[in-house]
Amino acid sequence: MRTNYVVNSGVRFQLLSDDQLQELFDGVLHLLEYTGLDVYHDEARDILEKAGAWVDGLRVRLPAYLVKDALTKAPRSFTLFARDGNPKHNIHIGPGRAHFGPGPTCPNFIDVETLKRRPYVKSDVPLVAKVCDALPNIDFVESLGTVGDVDYELGALYEFAGMFPNTSKPIVAWSYDRFDSAGIHEIAVTEAGGQEAFERRPNYVHYCEPLSPLVSTFEAVDKLIFAARHRVPLIFTPCPISGGTAPVTSAGIIIQGAAESWLGLTLAQAIQPGLPYFMGGVFSVMDMSSMILAYGAPELPLNMAALTELAHFVGLPLWQTGGVTDSKTFDEQAIIEGSMSVFFSALTGGDLCHDVGYTESAMTGSVFQLAAMDEAIGYSRRITRGIEVNEDTLAVPVIHNVGPNGHYLREKHTRRYYKNEFWYPKLCDRRNYEEWEMMGKTSFKDRTVARVQDILATHQPSAIKPETERVIEKVLAEAEERVKDHK
Amino acid sequence: MSELYERIATAVIEGDAEIAEKLVRRGLRKDLVAKDILDNGLVVGMGEVGVRFKAGDMFVPEVLMSADAMQAGLEVLRPELVASGIKLIGKILMGTVKGDLHDIGKNLVNMMCEGAGFEMVDIGFNADPETFVEAIKEHQPDVVGMSAMLTTTMRAMAYTIRAIEEAGLRDRIKIMVGGAPVDAAFAERIGADGYGSNAPAGVDLAKRFVSAA
Repeated sequence: MRTNYVVNSGVRFQLLSDDQLQELFDGVLHLLEYTGLDVYHDEARDILEKAGAWVDGLRVRLPAYLVKDALTKAPRSFTLFARDGNPKHNIHIGPGRAHFGPGPTCPNFIDVETLKRRPYVKSDVPLVAKVCDALPNIDFVESLGTVGDVDYELGALYEFAGMFPNTSKPIVAWSYDRFDSAGIHEIAVTEAGGQEAFERRPNYVHYCEPLSPLVSTFEAVDKLIFAARHRVPLIFTPCPISGGTAPVTSAGIIIQGAAESWLGLTLAQAIQPGLPYFMGGVFSVMDMSSMILAYGAPELPLNMAALTELAHFVGLPLWQTGGVTDSKTFDEQAIIEGSMSVFFSALTGGDLCHDVGYTESAMTGSVFQLAAMDEAIGYSRRITRGIEVNEDTLAVPVIHNVGPNGHYLREKHTRRYYKNEFWYPKLCDRRNYEEWEMMGKTSFKDRTVARVQDILATHQPSAIKPETERVIEKVLAEAEERVKDHK
Repeated sequence: MSELYERIATAVIEGDAEIAEKLVRRGLRKDLVAKDILDNGLVVGMGEVGVRFKAGDMFVPEVLMSADAMQAGLEVLRPELVASGIKLIGKILMGTVKGDLHDIGKNLVNMMCEGAGFEMVDIGFNADPETFVEAIKEHQPDVVGMSAMLTTTMRAMAYTIRAIEEAGLRDRIKIMVGGAPVDAAFAERIGADGYGSNAPAGVDLAKRFVSAA
């Protein structure tokens, strides 16, 4: 018998010590209590004031006890559900579980036929959702773009309406305003079978983005209030840029960004105690020669690892970032930057890692980058799964029976384990030279393109209910009606 | 009866030796011809295994299970086949050359060739040229396979082929070579008839040799 036997079931990774985390935590609380944030929303300030915040004009300061109280209310573990009940598409949020998916709102897209960069259009949405639905290591769905060929008020709504029927994986939905949010919610709730059923099994997450430094914009907070009142799991994700909209130091950007995120947390928990809540977001550097927000910088995964540890230290799940690149094309840079950040993200166990498939510093979405990263995520997950040590995996009798100069190919032990112990690549080529030559000397890029095109030609996502289809049509028609005057 | 052939093929594909053996026995009880059971059942199943393996839909341990199932069926048929004077598709003599103690690659080719319906003679590892020559005289194979794992031992393939030539046996057999450091150019340089880059390629090569003969 093994008593008090310690098991490390996966790879352990730790960047910061508990003392450092405590110092960051105290730093965030200090910022919220003494500096505060400007909140451009009357109702939000009222709600916060009633909860115990100090309000002075736009400025809202949160006493530490209020923030700590909100932290205790938010759950660390919960489930996001597949709209069709497929358990494989559910996402269980909790310690040691890293999940991956694309990001929203790139203005451009790599065309899946021509492989050329062009503006993102409505017809790209279902394609992205379908590819996400089929890729085994992509867990949640966003669209990789801002729909450019519909009324400029309605991009987010068309985006959700295009994604929802084409994947049953949980969707992370952003929106321009409360009207979008209401339309999106109506679609999701119809499919779930009503508000109560939705609350028990939420099938999407609402994404809001405050402004750095230290501003809660009207739209961000307005959408947060909508989501909290309807008990939609929430992501409140700032995008501070070191050296520009945040301190140049990692510790500085982390406490400022966390303060921005926890203002949202405190408001959300005041409205809806126990609401599942992810702190975010994208914490990278301003490249001091090109002025871009660098998605491929090593400081991004580094900051995100520290932020993940801070989130888990206080018992919150994190909206992670990875699988991204500043490269303009599908090249070695794209794969290095994407794979390194994906692996780092997997090591941290950050709960939902988004922006997988971003290229050109988030200016262009690419399902090819996404599919390539699906491979990198699979690779990373095999490593983070770790090594199991027990009597059976030690294989002492197997080794004894095979003996010197024997082989293990025919052993039952081999047959029992080889599928789970080894990871099998979908895109990386391991054939010998002759076979590789015979199969057309394809490159990684060729195989990635072929896989995406094969998915698009063959993958069939599960259908939504007929009543949901009707609600989608109704919601879009109502939205067109609402904006027709400014056309 | 095509349904029974299909079930035998399926048992081979699924690597279920017990079922394969049972179904072959049932076929014989129902007065099916042994050669037909072999060709329409076992060989068809193994052929499909080869296709799936190449496509990446089956893995080596599964292929070996299938080869075992094929073998189990073949054992039942063997007395019938021998009695009716039917030869298996061919006989292969296989060995790892002198100086090389690596066994697994050669064994893998053996198992897969057996699964494909060949009769195999294994002379083991570290086999010197004389051992090859004597074994060829004794067993009269259609194909001789040589394996080497090391760049230092692959030269022994050349010496072995020379010994076979000097013994006057070269024209009777086809020679195939394989192993990690070996390639097609080397095979040609030492006067082999062909090279297999992995175990399934070796099986294909052997099949081509015997069907051309």
